[in-house]
Amino acid sequence: MLRLRGREYDADTTLVMAIVNRTPDSFYDNGATWDDGPAFERVRRVVAEGADIVDIGGVKAGYGQRVDADEEKRRVVDFVAAVRAEFPHLVISVDTWRASVGRAVCEAGADLLNDAWGGYDPELAEVAAEFDAALVCTHTGGLTPRTPPHRTRYEDVVRAAVDDTVALAERAVSMGVDPASAIIDPAHDFGKNTWHSLELTRRLGEMTSLGWPVLVSLSNKDFVGETLDLPVGERLSGTLAATAVCAWHGAQIYRVHEVAQTRQVLDMVASIRGVRPPARVIRGLA
Amino acid sequence: MIVTTVVCPHPPLLLRELGGGQDPLAELRKECGAALEALTGSSPDVLVVIGGHDTSGEHTERIAPVREFGGTGERVPRERTLPPSLGVARRLLDDAGYRGRVEMATVAWDASAAEVGALGRRIAERTERVALLVLGDGSARRGSKAPGYLDERAFALDEEIRRCLSEGDRGGLTRLDPDLAAELMAQGRAALQVMAHALADVGDPVRPEVLYADDPFGVMYFVAVWPCASS
Repeated sequence: MLRLRGREYDADTTLVMAIVNRTPDSFYDNGATWDDGPAFERVRRVVAEGADIVDIGGVKAGYGQRVDADEEKRRVVDFVAAVRAEFPHLVISVDTWRASVGRAVCEAGADLLNDAWGGYDPELAEVAAEFDAALVCTHTGGLTPRTPPHRTRYEDVVRAAVDDTVALAERAVSMGVDPASAIIDPAHDFGKNTWHSLELTRRLGEMTSLGWPVLVSLSNKDFVGETLDLPVGERLSGTLAATAVCAWHGAQIYRVHEVAQTRQVLDMVASIRGVRPPARVIRGLA
Repeated sequence: MIVTTVVCPHPPLLLRELGGGQDPLAELRKECGAALEALTGSSPDVLVVIGGHDTSGEHTERIAPVREFGGTGERVPRERTLPPSLGVARRLLDDAGYRGRVEMATVAWDASAAEVGALGRRIAERTERVALLVLGDGSARRGSKAPGYLDERAFALDEEIRRCLSEGDRGGLTRLDPDLAAELMAQGRAALQVMAHALADVGDPVRPEVLYADDPFGVMYFVAVWPCASS
């Protein structure tokens, strides 16, 4: 069971979360939706393509221009309010690790706080509880926000991801977050090299079997690029292959750049799993 | 009595299987091989390895911690594996076909001047023919894609290390600032200083040579050979 503020989903329902960057420097789009106009166009397009959630972020994940809390709020809060006004029923997520930003966006209408840096600001969970918002609990291996892994090693990367995300989720629940709204995310590439991200994908069933809703963020990441030796911009096929494997293992939310393609993969895998009937079956049956 | 000293870096990528289908460090690996040939060819009674790590200590494990970084083989408990820098050394020695006696120890990244001095002197006082292999890297902050992002000071620090290695300047190595090295993620500082102190008795190297000094992925790697007068 997954609950995103007023909306409830059973375990076989998959959701596409479309990335909307309010940054001038994110790795994939390089500032394409930095201005309000293009950002709104992006929201309208992904909604038309079937996105269930938009994930609005004001700080690039990697090293880059310093963005303090005030600047982050300038980038996302009014935009969240405007998206909420135009799309009253759309689930709005905000990618932030800061409690002060979390509070401001929840007041503006956000439903979900995507804490991509694994509880770095412990007060963010309190904010989620206060607003009955959902919270993504990610595994970063203890990294400081916006830093990459350097020679990180794990005796068992999946065990580490399970232990840390479950601890964060249990802590959030103890503070008042609904268990159906505490989402765990192994966080591919965050505090991990390509081998680690591949192993997390291969063994994702060890996370999905725990009962917490699982989110995966695979889209165009370096583990795809390194595996196939392809630059950003040529990683869609690899992303979709990883998406299919995660869907087979039962992940529920997919944070992506390409919405329509992801939706097709998720529907196809759901039908293979036997939890979604094919759209139209005629062959051999007429 | 030290007969030859060699410096190599210890990126996990020197464990060949971690690089995947292609070898991202083929050129570095070749130069490490050449340096190891010089080291093992100096007819040592014992080969002493010093590598940087979280803590200082002696190690007798045999297995490199490959699986903690990746790969797909069997998982080995951490207590049965070497610290990463020594694991890289073990692999380089195996690749060089070295079958002689090996003693391995780590030195903490943040070891004080007194501690690196004491560790170095303990090696200097040995009476057998000692070949010394030192695992240490330069700064990991040499570009916007580097593990520690760009810090312009990295270039001066690494150039100073390169100069010391190419000129056999032991004093220069002992003067490297531990705090600056730590800020610049130059993990080799302590190990290089142990090396400098270990040569206290045999004196400056003869014909010191830097075989490799480059930063293909934002981390500075050095390969250097210091043949000693006693060789």
